[in-house]
Amino acid sequence: MKIRGLLMALALASLATAPGLAEEHPGRASIEASGYNGPSTCEECHPGKAKELLSTVHWKHASPVTNVDGLDAEKEYGMFNRIYTMCNGNDVVNNLKEIPVNPETGKSKFTGCNTCHPGNHLSDVGSTGPEAENAIDCLVCHSSAYDFTKRVPFKDGKGQVVMGQDRSTAAALAVGRPAAKNCMVCHERAGGGIYVKRGFEFTRENDVHAAMGMTCVDCHKAQNHKLPTGFDPNTWANDGLRVACSDCHGAEPHADQDYNRHTAKLACQTCHIPRTGGTMAKDFTRWEQGADKFYEPGTIQAEANSTKPVYAWYNLRVRNTPHFIGPDGSRNDGTSKIYPFKVYQGKAFFDKKSGQLLSMDFAPPMATGDVLAGVASAASTLGIKDYEPTPGWQTLYFGSSHLVTKENALTCFQCHTVGGALNFKDLGYSDAEVAKLTNPETYVTKVLEKQKEEW
Amino acid sequence: MKKRTLVLAVATLFAVCAFSMTVLAQSAEMKLVGVITKIKIAGPAATTATAILKDTKTEKLVEIVINDELTLDKFKDHRIVEGDEIRCKYKSVDGKNVSNYFRKTAGC
Repeated sequence: MKIRGLLMALALASLATAPGLAEEHPGRASIEASGYNGPSTCEECHPGKAKELLSTVHWKHASPVTNVDGLDAEKEYGMFNRIYTMCNGNDVVNNLKEIPVNPETGKSKFTGCNTCHPGNHLSDVGSTGPEAENAIDCLVCHSSAYDFTKRVPFKDGKGQVVMGQDRSTAAALAVGRPAAKNCMVCHERAGGGIYVKRGFEFTRENDVHAAMGMTCVDCHKAQNHKLPTGFDPNTWANDGLRVACSDCHGAEPHADQDYNRHTAKLACQTCHIPRTGGTMAKDFTRWEQGADKFYEPGTIQAEANSTKPVYAWYNLRVRNTPHFIGPDGSRNDGTSKIYPFKVYQGKAFFDKKSGQLLSMDFAPPMATGDVLAGVASAASTLGIKDYEPTPGWQTLYFGSSHLVTKENALTCFQCHTVGGALNFKDLGYSDAEVAKLTNPETYVTKVLEKQKEEW
Repeated sequence: MKKRTLVLAVATLFAVCAFSMTVLAQSAEMKLVGVITKIKIAGPAATTATAILKDTKTEKLVEIVINDELTLDKFKDHRIVEGDEIRCKYKSVDGKNVSNYFRKTAGC
């Protein structure tokens, strides 16, 4: 264990000195002489990388999904085409566009789910070929000097909506491995606002990895631009690579074997991520008018890092029904562990005839507040002719895998006490088992010894 | 002697009250939603900046001092620009409105 700790410290020390955004990237003289011409400049030293990116989730916003109930194995799923009540739209129905004018102000604005897509919108989500390769915005992920005044949508001479890019030499001269801020440009404002979706701040104060100077890609280590991800029940698309705490920390990460025994039934996150936050509920059937006179879905938002998670058994398969998307699993299936989740509830329109959740094009309700016009527009885009919209709620369980703490991790008596962090009854334990699990007998000697050591 | 003790006690009580009031005045957190009308930041090495927000409820202009690294970085690379709507919490410290929460209201 000590050796592992030493190795970890050395690895982190080497990360701190590894070539990163702060250090000079080779090829400076060439870029200074010729300027930056988009991906073709990068390809001079990194051939094939543009084409490689086109096959990833970051470009396609979709992938085959094998762990979610009720999906077609022949199709790809993701932000491109998914409908759920965190977003109630997707790239298809909410393609980046200029919305109708607001009748009170006469003003319009650009909006769309694919504003974060790293292309230029002309070559959009899932596009392929040389034009798509040349449309990639390499620098938005790789430059530390990107000027975001340039990354805004505008209409070109043909009236097409284009997403601008900073392709300046200055931005190109600051390339390197993505820093946390490059990722957070998009990932902190997903779902309709800052820290709305998953409700955590990846900062030194809140995450032990951030405090050690680590960045997102230290765990989500890209392989040929494919990024490993975990098993959040609401992150379906994946690049076929997975990341887990045990990749770095091993199967027995604690010096204390009592803690190590818990890892058979508890995910690391259960003890080490005791907080969550962000939006708890949204109502897409009721849009609220803002100061700019445009409308936004009614949103109830807790602060980031401010709420307690909900715990459930999870076997990494996802139950997917119109009114519930969340973990599958049970105490007795032999593969599940207890994980923490952020529970979110969203209200939107369901089709009374099919029982399925309907999607919404945000352009009409954003301009005028007319939510049913949004449903009608989305239905038209999707070719749905016969439907009957009726309001209803959907419950979503979001995975909680960031905001990791060592100092404030749950300890023996925070769970094994009456009214503790885990509700053993809800987790499937009998009354007799709950009585045993919440009796100090199981840990009293250990905790008393620990108190002596600490004080 | 008694008089001196009394004076001392009153003075102490007055000092404690004054200190408490100062602490209370400093700790009162205010919040607003407003549109940025002006950002003043002194170059890429700046460790502080000011932003003027127009309160959407009162239409009053409020000058906010921003010291946190993350927000300053967003000013520097223009992830936050004039015209953006901001949700802000701040405290009055030495006569200045110092931000402890400064986030764009808009998302994707």
